[in-house]
Amino acid sequence: MSKQVSFTLDGQEVTVPQGWTVMQAARQEKVAIPHFCWHPGLKVAGVCRFCLVHVEGARKLEISCNLVVQPGMVVSTLRDEVKQAHKWALEFHLLNHPLDCPICDQAGECGLQDYYMEVGLYQSQMTRPKVLKPKALDVGSELVLDTERCILCSKCVRFEDEVTKTGALGIFARGDRSIIGTYHGQKITHQYQENLVDICPVGAFTSRRFRFKQRVWFLKEKSSICPGCSTGCAIKVHGKPEMRRYFRVKPEEDQSVNGHWLCDKGRMTLEHLNPEARLMQAARWQAAQQAWEFSPQTAPFIRELAQEIARLAPQDIALLVSAQYTNEEYAEFFDYFVKQRGITQVYQWREPSEARDDFDGLLLRGDHNANTRGLMAALKQVGIKAKIGDQLEKCVAAKPQLVIALSPEISFTAPSLPEQLAQLNSLARVSLWTTHFSASQWTQLWQLLPLRGFAEKIGTVTNYQGKTRVLKEAFPPVASEVLAISQIIAGLHKEL
Amino acid sequence: MGIIRVNRPAADRNAFEAAWGYVTSIAKGMQLTMKIMLKQLLKLEKSETLEWPEQPATYSERFKGKHFLTQREDGQVRCTACFLCATACPAECIFIEAGEHPDHRIEKYPVRFEIDILRCVFCGLCEEACPVDAIRLGPEYVMAGSAGDKWVYTKEYLLARPQLQGGIASIKVENDKHPAINKIASVENNKSVVRH
Repeated sequence: MSKQVSFTLDGQEVTVPQGWTVMQAARQEKVAIPHFCWHPGLKVAGVCRFCLVHVEGARKLEISCNLVVQPGMVVSTLRDEVKQAHKWALEFHLLNHPLDCPICDQAGECGLQDYYMEVGLYQSQMTRPKVLKPKALDVGSELVLDTERCILCSKCVRFEDEVTKTGALGIFARGDRSIIGTYHGQKITHQYQENLVDICPVGAFTSRRFRFKQRVWFLKEKSSICPGCSTGCAIKVHGKPEMRRYFRVKPEEDQSVNGHWLCDKGRMTLEHLNPEARLMQAARWQAAQQAWEFSPQTAPFIRELAQEIARLAPQDIALLVSAQYTNEEYAEFFDYFVKQRGITQVYQWREPSEARDDFDGLLLRGDHNANTRGLMAALKQVGIKAKIGDQLEKCVAAKPQLVIALSPEISFTAPSLPEQLAQLNSLARVSLWTTHFSASQWTQLWQLLPLRGFAEKIGTVTNYQGKTRVLKEAFPPVASEVLAISQIIAGLHKEL
Repeated sequence: MGIIRVNRPAADRNAFEAAWGYVTSIAKGMQLTMKIMLKQLLKLEKSETLEWPEQPATYSERFKGKHFLTQREDGQVRCTACFLCATACPAECIFIEAGEHPDHRIEKYPVRFEIDILRCVFCGLCEEACPVDAIRLGPEYVMAGSAGDKWVYTKEYLLARPQLQGGIASIKVENDKHPAINKIASVENNKSVVRH
């Protein structure tokens, strides 16, 4: 353990590791020091001059983000002169800030708005017109940049330099005409663009995907785990449960897994939660009409499946399982089908083209399945020896009479899904359990059973590190007919 | 008008006397009614009764009636889809869908702006919350209809319904805070123009 240092913060004795700044100590103690340019995941810049605190014996106020804790230091964040300093610093920040709040997506979670209500509430003394700068610039596929709203905190520049190491952004021109921008009209192309939106304390960077979709004060947020790859970043899903709709995904701080960040692919996973992409009702393929027949009643489908299971010998039935479900779901699934029904043909369903050991150096891993380790452990539990790899072709070649398949949930993790489903068409009966559905690409499967998405169920997932974390139920399922695997298995129990 | 004092029949009087007391007091009351009726028949006094709807009723300019959306000078909707009216609305009757405007100086505008008028309580908080003076409660008060009518007012209806007379009261001129009030007032003075 490193050396500890004690000091006084607002009259409280606080002990922190040596080398910590007052800002870090205040964050740990949950003392709110207003700041714009400081971010726990980035280096200290000290440009916003907003996190001023009073230190006994110092000649003037100090910025807490760059003030290393010294033993016996007496720091106050509550004195009137600190409040006054915040007020004046805020007035400088707002000199040229446009009154865009009605059309700005940041409104409601904007540092400027919050601090204005807290310490500002003054009449502007500016008599000159505000400096106008370029607005609504296209700087990347996920980003819209409004240079007028920028307060030049330089967090985005530091993110580009330190985290993604792409260095795409810089501050150009001088004085009140300084603007943030990319070099020579280039665009930001990396996979971590929306982190710039998250760290931007104002509405300079807004997300193209979330832009104008919803005001943030209507959204409720719930913790979840990203199902996009085996990293399993801690995320927060933001949505309106009463609308059964999700609007955005943001990272949640988890130092042992993802730190403060989340890749853009991880944010795309919410598309698989909203009704447009979902299988909302059970469906069967009607060969005569060449169309899907949907039914709000799931029970007859489960009965049909149960009849097939009862009719066929266990060796004629195969299980095809993707690695995107929770440990509990696997345990229940294998316990029922392998242990109780004696089915021995269990195949893994993975993307054949996957580069499993790829890693982009930050978060995104080549193994796009959230729970590969959990699946392998569950297979081992029921005595099936298997290596990680796609076995769909093997399954098709074995020509089972009935395949019970757990489909991959997130479409970008399975680009060959339509081809794989086409391969399955050659089999007599496929009962596909899936969360999502695409009427244009999917045909001819015997039956589809609707499952709950990752934010609608409770369970645990094991990431690439072997860390098992709890996936919580964020919002109620999009439709009442959407089932948990345990409900389907309970239905089969009842029939058989 | 006045208070008519009636001697209450004492308990020991007989039934006829008690009934007579009622008859006389009704006659006294009718006397006042007849007096006013005769006065008005002989045009000695002005009647306050309106023959609505043939005769128009006028309310104050500040009456909070049917909503309308104000326009920019080029006829486009002023609303920037900031959702503040929807946030302030206690009846949650405002539905807005925002979209990207082709003109990047405007940036954001409502693709859909709908008011479920059956839920509206006419509190006027939407008007008060609006930062760009885009929604107002106008002086139209006739809102009766039948079950088949469209009770959800669309953006087009709120912005340019025939009663607004091509936006007579709804075009918002920059730097002029409440031109609609002036316009309505001038219409009021000039009786040849029918008020919307």
